[in-house]
Amino acid sequence: MSAAPKRLTMAELDRLCRRRQAAGAPMPAYAGPLERHVEEGDRRLLKLQYDDSAAALRLWSFLLTEEERLHAARAAGRKIVGTMKDLGTVPVMAYALPNVVAFYPDGAWWTPCVMELSEGLFGVAQSLGLGDAFCPVRAMAGAFVNRAHFPIPDLLTCSVGATCDDFSAVAQRLESLGFPILWWEMPSRRLPDPGEPAVTLPGGFRAPESQVALVRSELDRIRAALAELAGAPLGDDELAAGIREANRVRGLLGDLRRLAYTADPCPMPALEMLIAEMLAIHFCSDRAESVAVLAELLAEVRRRIDKGRGVLPEGAARLFWVNPVADLRVMNLLDDCGARLCGTEFLFCHALDAIPEDLPPMEALARMALADPMVGPAADRAARVVRDARAFGAEAVVVSRIPGASHCALEGAVIGRMVREAIGLPVVELEVPPMADPMWPTLKTRLEALVETVIERRKR
Amino acid sequence: MIAAGIDGGSRAIKIVLLECATCKEVAAGVRDQGVDHDGIARDLFEELLKSAGLTRRKVARAVATGYTRNAITFADTTVTEITCHAVGVRHEVPDAATVVEIGGQDSKLLRLNSDGSVRDFAMNDRCAAGTGRFLEVVAARLGTGLEGLGDLARAATSPAPISSMCVVFAETEIIGLLASGAKAEDIVAGVQASVASRVAAMVGREAAPPVIFTGGVALIPGMVDALASALKTPVRIAPRPQMTGALGAAMMACRQTCPTRGKRAT
Repeated sequence: MSAAPKRLTMAELDRLCRRRQAAGAPMPAYAGPLERHVEEGDRRLLKLQYDDSAAALRLWSFLLTEEERLHAARAAGRKIVGTMKDLGTVPVMAYALPNVVAFYPDGAWWTPCVMELSEGLFGVAQSLGLGDAFCPVRAMAGAFVNRAHFPIPDLLTCSVGATCDDFSAVAQRLESLGFPILWWEMPSRRLPDPGEPAVTLPGGFRAPESQVALVRSELDRIRAALAELAGAPLGDDELAAGIREANRVRGLLGDLRRLAYTADPCPMPALEMLIAEMLAIHFCSDRAESVAVLAELLAEVRRRIDKGRGVLPEGAARLFWVNPVADLRVMNLLDDCGARLCGTEFLFCHALDAIPEDLPPMEALARMALADPMVGPAADRAARVVRDARAFGAEAVVVSRIPGASHCALEGAVIGRMVREAIGLPVVELEVPPMADPMWPTLKTRLEALVETVIERRKR
Repeated sequence: MIAAGIDGGSRAIKIVLLECATCKEVAAGVRDQGVDHDGIARDLFEELLKSAGLTRRKVARAVATGYTRNAITFADTTVTEITCHAVGVRHEVPDAATVVEIGGQDSKLLRLNSDGSVRDFAMNDRCAAGTGRFLEVVAARLGTGLEGLGDLARAATSPAPISSMCVVFAETEIIGLLASGAKAEDIVAGVQASVASRVAAMVGREAAPPVIFTGGVALIPGMVDALASALKTPVRIAPRPQMTGALGAAMMACRQTCPTRGKRAT
């Protein structure tokens, strides 16, 4: 690209896409103008700002065609696994089998935002007893009932215990509606007692060996269920290969994060980075293509950095963002307010860290699951935020709460306190519902004020 | 030359004009907010200029702040009310360490560095239960003006507990209290304590003294006592609490005109 990168409206992006198509630019079959997704109901796309690169368009197209891929997989006779609260494990196992596709039904939590509530998933959820007091993942229950989105999976798995309480409630309601779930237990990570045999987990936390053994035995049940579903054994060799492929995705994402969150000027907008991180959790139902999408995005970022070009002004306030936003526009708002992403903890750290390849695969996956900051004390999660905010050179931290999400309600204060005490950064909490329009002025004020505070701190 | 600060709040528009060279105030005024934010602000602006014997050409820079800041078309730029209140308070109270601002639509807590810059801040969430709007609703329900709330609260003997997290439900709760024979003064005291407790929740473990109370709600008698009680620390009302945001905006305009000016308090 010769011109400086910039953000575009959807109409501008689509015009650019058509010019590229007319010029014969290579493009995957699923990629193309985004307007067709608006016609299918994703009206929020009209209000977003997009990075103008071909790589970002491919990313968006890949994300928005996931349901088509799932339906195609069903039509092709492949088995579909709905994996909930998997902590970075079940998709890795599922994709180790040749005829299995895994996806996150709770990905439907963005649907009410993207479709501007028109699909009525929250209304369906409400009718099922899952009202506003629940996390927006309740939209998933609506999607199961109205069957207008993803195909009903052949197997549903969900961890329970130390993962989200509200999610567990939604999943239990789902099961009561006739969607059987294979539950697996996730213990709350604790520090080993003195003298108790323990292991170091990926990322540095420690846990008793007995807890790892419990998780391993639980994951063994999932492994057996997957093999039965696929009608093929899921051996250690296949699992090890699956782990290597998953690590390939994680490695690409790690490189992308490191470059995009540290380069100045910022080479990639916040929204595209959020989407890229989401993609890595479950490979957007196509692991090989997710590698290609991330690789192209990474190449684009490298190209921009080499040329000293950014999509945001130089010197933008460097914000570390905690928790994903339910309304995607807020990521645009962050850029608009003079800030840029400088590290994230979107509650899916389990899809970021490399899975150990020097351990037996089930042991590695068990340790990985237990390493998730979510399954330990809030202080563990806060410690990771502190570590990463420091490493990325963040100048402030935003804790974005999701209405009804139990983790957000409980952990924001702990994270804020530890960040202030450990690295002295300003912390702002804000709540982002799936349609944040009524709160726009106050969200804007908070982000602008945070940017002003950061700029003033630079002068001191 | 003159620096102008315009605070377009949800309930009132406040404007302060400062002499850039000295940071001396030459005019200040307040007008109730309405539908045409820009028009009301412009009228007040022109009126203040006229009263001070000035013309628009004398205004070197105008900074807008507050909820309607982006609607003020004659301002040169905008700065958030977080920054403006910090600057305004420190100009008038140079040792301020904590600022509590309660306006018509939201409430804020600012923690300041020793040089007066903002160290950290918090704002109330989507609900009006910690804002002046709550007090307005109560005053209307009890048939008294905002100015009468303080006298009522002072007469309270047993403040009524207001547990609702939402103004709409709180109003229902108040109706229930009245129906059960609760005295108006006890209800007012309960409501003021409720607003103060929401602010205290934002403050967290401690509010570094001195704590300065600003915003239009600081003018309502009884609120400062309720806030001090909730924070368990003495609270002082800013000299002109309703004008602090506009003053801070004017100070920011001074600084932007000449960076060495307008930093008297730092």
